[in-house]
Amino acid sequence: MGDEDEIGGGPSGVSDEEDDPARRREIRSKYRDLINSVQQNREDMLNPANNKLIDVLEEANRLFASVKQAREAALDAQLLVLATDLGKEKASQLHAEGSAFDPSAFAEHLLSFMGLNRLEEEDDDQDGHLNGFLPQDAWQKLAKRSEVCFKTAPSFHYMLGSFLAEPPPPRQRVERQRKAPSKEAKRIMPTQLKKMEESQQEATEKEVERILACLQKYFADDPEEPISYYEFVIDPSSFSRTVENIFHTSFLIRDGLAKISLDKEGLPCIGPVEEGEIETGGAADRNQCVISISQASWKELIEAFDIKEALIPAPKTLSQES
Amino acid sequence: MSQRKKASASQSKSQQTNVNEDEMTLSQMTSSQVQRARENFSSVQIDRKVAEVVQFILVKDQKKIPVRRADIVKHVMKEYKVIYSEVMNRVRRTFEQVFGLKLEEIDTKNHIYILINKLEAGETVSMCPGNPKSGLLFVILSIIFMKGGVAKENLVWNTLKKLRVDSGEKHDEFSDVKKLVTDEFVRQKYLEYVKIPHTEPVEFEFRWGLRADIELSKLKLLEFVAELHDQDPQSWTQQFREASASESRT
Repeated sequence: MGDEDEIGGGPSGVSDEEDDPARRREIRSKYRDLINSVQQNREDMLNPANNKLIDVLEEANRLFASVKQAREAALDAQLLVLATDLGKEKASQLHAEGSAFDPSAFAEHLLSFMGLNRLEEEDDDQDGHLNGFLPQDAWQKLAKRSEVCFKTAPSFHYMLGSFLAEPPPPRQRVERQRKAPSKEAKRIMPTQLKKMEESQQEATEKEVERILACLQKYFADDPEEPISYYEFVIDPSSFSRTVENIFHTSFLIRDGLAKISLDKEGLPCIGPVEEGEIETGGAADRNQCVISISQASWKELIEAFDIKEALIPAPKTLSQES
Repeated sequence: MSQRKKASASQSKSQQTNVNEDEMTLSQMTSSQVQRARENFSSVQIDRKVAEVVQFILVKDQKKIPVRRADIVKHVMKEYKVIYSEVMNRVRRTFEQVFGLKLEEIDTKNHIYILINKLEAGETVSMCPGNPKSGLLFVILSIIFMKGGVAKENLVWNTLKKLRVDSGEKHDEFSDVKKLVTDEFVRQKYLEYVKIPHTEPVEFEFRWGLRADIELSKLKLLEFVAELHDQDPQSWTQQFREASASESRT
């Protein structure tokens, strides 16, 4: 019942008075109030002792006198449906013969039978219901008495209880539930660790590749000039970067992608290994050595080689790399 | 009731009942085919199968949920389904002669069975205290019956409210009353809970379920209701007529 077409023009030919939106809204509001009151007081209106249904119908008749358009008439029809339904129910209460059945009276008799403790007898009639309390066995008592009406088959039970005792299953269930998540957790832990290792390894590999690319670039710029190992790895602005460079460069050596040789002054030089050389350079030619570097020797080397800037640019931030 | 008649039924008659047996393979079988199928099982095997079906139905009956033929066939009969009616006849006889119970097919279309007590009330001396739920059920069934077979949902809830049972609240004995009434009682086939057509907002009404029709004595119910009102059962003329009629039918 939305008020969507409040301004919508009525059919042509209706006078201003009939089309007055305020007047129409008032009629609709009155109809809705009437419908609500019927819905809410339904039980009341069904009571054979009163004529409220007739009052409602008379009120609706009065309202209908000023109804000029379809929307209001639709509400009138809606009310009529409700009233008819009520009327039907009232008619069903009419018994041509014998006494009528009154559920409220039935409920009262049941309460007495079930042994209701009426606390305040006088109040009972005033607000109708829900005074006093029922004894514990009230429903059992009623059930026992009404048993004669039922031909219910006694349900089958094992004499000393069945062997399928109830308690164990829930316990098992609890255990299962406890186990399940811990398994899940165990399974998750290793995969998480693996992933971390993988990502670290990946980071190392990327860094190694980056350094190899640097080395190859310098070599390509001037293939004749040997690249001093110390000039290559040392970052004059950062000791830790230097250590990292040494660490990563060692992978290049290990994998046979770069080689270190001594120049005529006996200083180590580094150069990439060309593809042809990988074949000839067997495992026999390999030597291992340990390079140690300290903060002091790092400073010394910077001075001795007069290193102004790093040959290997500092990597972009880690997050960008990964 | 007619197990002896059925057992010794003439060919044409057993064929007829078989036709009614519907969708299963046995429906197309002639009685001679059934005869041949039966020869595949020894009498000891059939006895055991009968006992299994009896136990299956007894256990199913604990919750008062009707037993479907499809379930009996699927879980117990299995390959014995070719001699289904023979086994069921003997199951029926066992229930009547051993347990004093009667196996009733409440729905002949969908083949749904329930057990009811064959002994007259009063003959049975029940040791156990009354089940509160059946007290509640009695109240609802009484309202429906006294109202002429149909009761609006609201009427039932309002009356129960007067008895301190609120459909919206958890009850000490019935816990979720709404669920007990509209679900459990309905599944047990004590009640039917159906939408009233053309209602806005939607309304529901209660009727007696198939089990209630068979398991309850309308006359005894009316007598109890009359006793509560301290009136003569005959003062409700229509209900009394209806109750007497259904009594003579069984």
